[in-house]
Amino acid sequence: MLVLLIIVNAIIQPGFFSFQVFRMNFMTFTPLILVSLAQATVILVGAVDLSLGAGISLVTVVMASLMKDSTLSIVSITLLGVAAALFLSLFNGFFIGYIGPPPLIMTFATSTIWFGTALLIMPTPGGHIPEAYYMIYGKTLGGFLPVPVIILLVAVAFCLLLGRLKAFRHLYAVGGSERASRASGISVPGTKVFAFLVSGVFIALAALCVVGQTATGDARSGQGFTLNSVAAAVIGGIAFSGGKGNYVGAIIGGIILGLLINIIYFANITSFYQEFMKGVIIIVALLFGAVPRLRRELSHH
Amino acid sequence: MTVLEAKHIRKSFVGVRALSDANFALRAGEVCGLVGANGSGKTTFARIVSGLLTPDDGELRLYEQPVNLRTHLDAERYRMAMVHQNLSLVPEMTIWQNIALGREMTGSLALLDNRGAVARAEKAMETISVKISIHERVKNISPDEKQLVEIGKALAKDPRILILDEPTASLDFHQVESLFRAVRELKERGVAIVFISHRIWEVAKICDRLVAFRNGETVGELDFAVQERNEKLIIPLITGQEVREKIRKGSAAREQEIARHGDSGLALELRGISLDGGRLTDVSFSLRRGEVLGLGGLQGQGQEEILMILAGYLKGYSGEIRVDGKPLALRNTRHAIRRGIALIPGDRQKEGLFLERSVLSNLLYPKVSMHRGSFFLPMGRYQKLASGAIATVSLVPPDPRLVVSQLSGGNQQKVVVGKWLALSPNVLLLNDPTKGVDVGTRQNIYEIISGLAEKGTSVLLYASDNEELIDNCDRVLIVFEGRIVKEIHGDDINEERLVVASLNVEHSGEKSPGAAHEDGRVQ
Repeated sequence: MLVLLIIVNAIIQPGFFSFQVFRMNFMTFTPLILVSLAQATVILVGAVDLSLGAGISLVTVVMASLMKDSTLSIVSITLLGVAAALFLSLFNGFFIGYIGPPPLIMTFATSTIWFGTALLIMPTPGGHIPEAYYMIYGKTLGGFLPVPVIILLVAVAFCLLLGRLKAFRHLYAVGGSERASRASGISVPGTKVFAFLVSGVFIALAALCVVGQTATGDARSGQGFTLNSVAAAVIGGIAFSGGKGNYVGAIIGGIILGLLINIIYFANITSFYQEFMKGVIIIVALLFGAVPRLRRELSHH
Repeated sequence: MTVLEAKHIRKSFVGVRALSDANFALRAGEVCGLVGANGSGKTTFARIVSGLLTPDDGELRLYEQPVNLRTHLDAERYRMAMVHQNLSLVPEMTIWQNIALGREMTGSLALLDNRGAVARAEKAMETISVKISIHERVKNISPDEKQLVEIGKALAKDPRILILDEPTASLDFHQVESLFRAVRELKERGVAIVFISHRIWEVAKICDRLVAFRNGETVGELDFAVQERNEKLIIPLITGQEVREKIRKGSAAREQEIARHGDSGLALELRGISLDGGRLTDVSFSLRRGEVLGLGGLQGQGQEEILMILAGYLKGYSGEIRVDGKPLALRNTRHAIRRGIALIPGDRQKEGLFLERSVLSNLLYPKVSMHRGSFFLPMGRYQKLASGAIATVSLVPPDPRLVVSQLSGGNQQKVVVGKWLALSPNVLLLNDPTKGVDVGTRQNIYEIISGLAEKGTSVLLYASDNEELIDNCDRVLIVFEGRIVKEIHGDDINEERLVVASLNVEHSGEKSPGAAHEDGRVQ
């Protein structure tokens, strides 16, 4: 699947294997992979986050409205953006873990709150992102490592670390069976909060990338990410029922979706057909990727 | 030393009293049985003692100190472990991950110590002599293996008090033997064990003492140090009445009836049924009208596959099925039901009931799904049918409006049986129908079945408990590795013969359907 997409992409996109295009591609792929990781984390614990996109929008708006040109401001506002993303995720996590509304409804509700807040702060796209900030995102370190790829490597390292943590093992347990987890003495609410916290880290990184990529604050900039992230996670083999799948799948799912979007973009079709084709291709991707696997699993039971 | 003592424990769930006066004491190094009918409060009691529930009232003492257990972790601090009846395993995780779950050790930098966890899991599984790879995911192992993993998980905690809640419900007798061996070893080491079981012979065999619960109260105690290990003493404690006459008496009349029909009365015939992968090989037998035919043998030898094929769940078999003398290719479950074949499943919560719906709805689903004709359902008539079914299975309380999940396990099973009565099936398939059901309900269910058989319904019964086959069947077929290796008739059906035949080690010269296969298959 992945190989096929790369081939098609290479044919359609001019200079696909040139470094310049590689760098450009990763500028858009990186946030997509990051949100796919964020979504995968909450799906693994048995929840879903529909407020992810609106959360990213809100962070970009906050950052663009406050950031000044001084280095101090850039650093402190970036940190504030990260803190904001973590706070938004924790808010979802606490409600879902300790009070217990269905994650689908809870995060839908918060998504409209985040969106409304972002609109309140910035009704139209704008704000100011210093050149120094977005230039960094486009930079290449040591002549061969674009910054987006470095961010991705940091995320991968974070994933590897997570894999060795006790709380992360519990995340799979809670997603797999809440009752069994409780009987084994695991704090189910605590584990859900942990999942949302981890997801918040990925969302924060994604938001920073989006700001670097667009260089504005926009209350609608994150919109597309919510359902793209769900699609990417599912294409990547994360079971919607929770407790099943891994980050490698989520990353591959993100890349597949990124390539799909790329192909449609470079195939020179009008914007209506772009969206139309994207949906069709996602269904095809599911048919070839996820559905045979699901059927195989069902026949086992 | 008394390691565990409970006095006057009370517990209610939204208006339903589960425990009204539970008293219990356990000394170090003893195995104490806890018996009682379904709904008598055994599991609730076990859950209270292990900190999963908090009691409304009463006193709990551990190691002669009063305690207040708020969570399961609290209980674990007192080195208490419980083997859960409803499994506490995560299917997507491996066996060793499950055994370590909730108590993962961490090394430097708070990173997981996986090697240590694997070693501990290996050791725990060795104590109960289980030979499965601990790297297998739990979803890929059989129910009995899951049960063993559950036991291994409790043992890995190195407990001083061990609560076993129905640990043997899905084990065959070999596995029960190894479990008993492990229990005796633990006892030697001074571990105190509470053994909860419906299988009276097991309780009589392994326990030093037993306590009986009835309707949430402690009603009696037997100490095998001074009293005889006699099952007849135990049953009255549980049911509150003298041992009832066994059902087998009625089967004499049934045998005559079956004989009268002769060969013309074949309700069902299987000819050379095979399933790929060696799950079933050349299974042939016939079922006469009004006959109760048993499927015996070790667990998972293909008995369930036979039932599943007949119920229309499993497809892709080869061979021929004949119903009423005519060949029939079953298309799906609906088709099977229309042809009068009904399956009463073993896992009632998963396959037999809509737990959140009322008794009435549950009783009527088969009837409604088979409804033909008028656009609107004749609900008045259906309600009468349902009350009839409730009376036949003697549901307690006899209220069709109750939500099924609130009923006790035994009564839930009565609903599962009751819902097929309205369709008056020709062939009734029973897949371990009394798993986890108490003695009273068990008799009740078998009385209903025997009543149906007398009216001409043919019954194919798979039971993991040999006693049930002995009590109820006219004939028993022993299944071994997907083949029928032996047929036992009438008065020859007894525990010893069933056990020997199940192992497929017999070298008698008798003719049996599978005699040709026996030689090469001795274990």
